[in-house]
Amino acid sequence: MKKYFTLLLVLGISGSTFAQKQLTREAFIRFYSETPVENIEATTKEASSVIDFEKGEFVCQVLMKSFLFEKALMQEHFNENYVESEKYPKAVFKGAFQDWPGAKTFKADGDHKLKVTGTMSIHGVEQPLETDCVLTIKDGKASLSAEFFVSPQDHKIEIPGAVVDKIAKEILVTFKAAYQPLKS
Amino acid sequence: MKLFSILFVLLSFSALAQDDLLDLIEEEPQTEYAYATFKGTRIINLQSNELPAEGVMQFMIMHRFGALNDDFVYNFFGLEQAQTRFSFDYSIKDWINIGVGRSSFSKTYDGFVKLRLWRQSKGAKNMPIGVVYYGTVNYNTLRWEDGLPHNSSDRMSYTSELILVRKFNKNLSLQIVPSFIHFNLVEDRETPNDIFVLGFGGRYKVSNRVAITAEYGLQLNDNFYYDADGNKTNYNDALSIGVDIETGGHVFQLHATNTRGLADPQWMARTPGGWGDGDIFLGFNISRVFTLKKPKMPDAE
Repeated sequence: MKKYFTLLLVLGISGSTFAQKQLTREAFIRFYSETPVENIEATTKEASSVIDFEKGEFVCQVLMKSFLFEKALMQEHFNENYVESEKYPKAVFKGAFQDWPGAKTFKADGDHKLKVTGTMSIHGVEQPLETDCVLTIKDGKASLSAEFFVSPQDHKIEIPGAVVDKIAKEILVTFKAAYQPLKS
Repeated sequence: MKLFSILFVLLSFSALAQDDLLDLIEEEPQTEYAYATFKGTRIINLQSNELPAEGVMQFMIMHRFGALNDDFVYNFFGLEQAQTRFSFDYSIKDWINIGVGRSSFSKTYDGFVKLRLWRQSKGAKNMPIGVVYYGTVNYNTLRWEDGLPHNSSDRMSYTSELILVRKFNKNLSLQIVPSFIHFNLVEDRETPNDIFVLGFGGRYKVSNRVAITAEYGLQLNDNFYYDADGNKTNYNDALSIGVDIETGGHVFQLHATNTRGLADPQWMARTPGGWGDGDIFLGFNISRVFTLKKPKMPDAE
């Protein structure tokens, strides 16, 4: 009896401190390129992301082909010639929140302004990335939003001379995700 | 024993905790459809498997200059005797495209429909080839010069094509196109009304934006007419080679071909000249697309 009690206790304790991962497969990502010639926008709602509240870590990945453009031909060129989706199907971000206050902080509802640093891999090229983000807890569920810039050139995405004026040097990326607690 | 159970529980948790977070969001293999098999909806004259996306209208100009062996310099390198075809098409859905065209050669109007039946895919659903149907009705409006009474049905001709295509890799795409052509009216009693053609087409991308293309229309049955002197003359198979150049909103296709006709029954089954005789026509296709119905893009909420 005592044995089972201990076991239950251990399970209970580690459970409450551990079931601290939240996940989504419907994260929203938009990128927006603004130039005097043309504004280009693409969005997806099929990105996947996990937050590990114990360690203060964050990952996100998205299939490049899931991005939808207003012009179908542009979408085809994006996949075929720019990000080369067949060769590099995913964009992946792996990072950690800076000055992570620990999982307990997030038991209560509230907004937290945080800084996240990590590596962004697009087109098979990894680049360090640091951005501000807002982590909101409501009824035990997290949501996260962030805005940052990505440079196609840094990720070795070749832009031909003919369209160089139509594509911004820095592309604005918007990330919004609502998470569900992961039962472990 | 107590210690053991505690240790066991702790160990199993620490193993879990070290799992890469990425493993948690590793996707199930999805169905990946082949896309951008060809740059244009036509390889040169032959239809490719491509349809414009849903809600997109395409305007296409096909242009063939005069023959290289026809007083080439006098006719300013053939530029003075061009044949053209204009067409508009529209994709009602991703899998159905309809359109109309007008060719100057034999003053032909055409209406066409293109249906995507199967898509090449891999991953969860594996389909090694794509299948597209293409059908046209053609109506020539040349004045009758034989002094005989005619029905307007005499002006009609038809093609049906089944496009079997495979994108082998990023660069190489090939297709075989069994085609059936019917002319309601032909030149002579012996000239066949029905012609079966096996079309072959392919492209090889030499860079992200440039591809080499070629196509051939093999006529499977004897197709001939009698010339003014009563000599039996065979129609040739059409052979074309070209280059696709993509520049953002449109595709330029430059090519050389031995066929002048642009409506499908014309180029597939009414090619009098051959490459060997210098009956070679330079030409280009240009297409421009317009998004009439914008796709619904996901937004944040």
